[in-house]
Amino acid sequence: MSSILVVDDSRFARRNMRAALEELGHEVEEASNGADALARYSPDRHELVTLDLLMPDMDGGVVLTKLRERNPAVKVLVATADIQTITRRELEDLGVTAVINKPIARDDLKRVVSGVLEGAIVSC
Amino acid sequence: MLTETQHDALTELINISYARAAGALSQLTGYRVGLEVPHAAVYPLSEVSARLKRSLDAQVTAVSQVFSGVVSGNALLVLDQKAAVILSDILLDTSSASGDWSGEWPEENREVITELGNILLNACLGTFGNLLKVHVTFSMPLLQIDVVDSIMRSTEVAGENLSHGLMIQTKFHLREANLTGYLVIILGVTSLDRLVAGLDTWQ
Repeated sequence: MSSILVVDDSRFARRNMRAALEELGHEVEEASNGADALARYSPDRHELVTLDLLMPDMDGGVVLTKLRERNPAVKVLVATADIQTITRRELEDLGVTAVINKPIARDDLKRVVSGVLEGAIVSC
Repeated sequence: MLTETQHDALTELINISYARAAGALSQLTGYRVGLEVPHAAVYPLSEVSARLKRSLDAQVTAVSQVFSGVVSGNALLVLDQKAAVILSDILLDTSSASGDWSGEWPEENREVITELGNILLNACLGTFGNLLKVHVTFSMPLLQIDVVDSIMRSTEVAGENLSHGLMIQTKFHLREANLTGYLVIILGVTSLDRLVAGLDTWQ
């Protein structure tokens, strides 16, 4: 079991992600915006951060940068509705560990989360 | 406004994009989504409101999302009241009286339709972007429950002289209900030209 921080401004999206991750046996903490995520994130506790891109005040790219400043080894799974190939490449250039598209398919999530937690860089 | 070849290419592009969006909707709701062939056409912006009002309720639910890049504009998912209520009920696993619409929706219902709009608009425009090799960047989705005219008046984008609407109409069937939804992509002349150029070179 791992501790995972789920960052998304949509309550609906957080609830879906929480249900899927808890079904996989993980412990979930939620953050509803970028500032909340930075306040809650603990390198000692959270083994993975799932991160939405489009959020008010502080978008996912800024949150990612700040998380990496705190912990260069942070594992970040971006969960986004943006399905564009170029967006995915840009995210990979930014150093995200993996990308998964919304709506989240639980089988895909299971594969990606397992891969990330085991140290493989995967993309879905 | 479009040549026959361009219209054919646009129709195919939309079919692929809508199939992606329908797949996303089915995955979210857990129901099979039946999709009628989408009808697409480009109209001057002044005509878009009138056309939307012909087949939608007076008050509608719209999720809009400004996008920017080589092609920029404003994309809207416009749903009639029944569709919005049914979809939010399914996604939240609740049961509203579909006829009891006050316009004052609980925050949770508003959030769920906003997220749905975000996913469906991204599925459509993202597929456009991938196929035409045109990258667009999305802003935050905005939910509005209002009359069509007010919603269309609010589609202005800073720095863009929006002039045309690519209007895509479809009906979809979900859980034995016929739901009506429109996707409207509002573009300026330059962006429309770039979209058409993309259709010309799409292979």
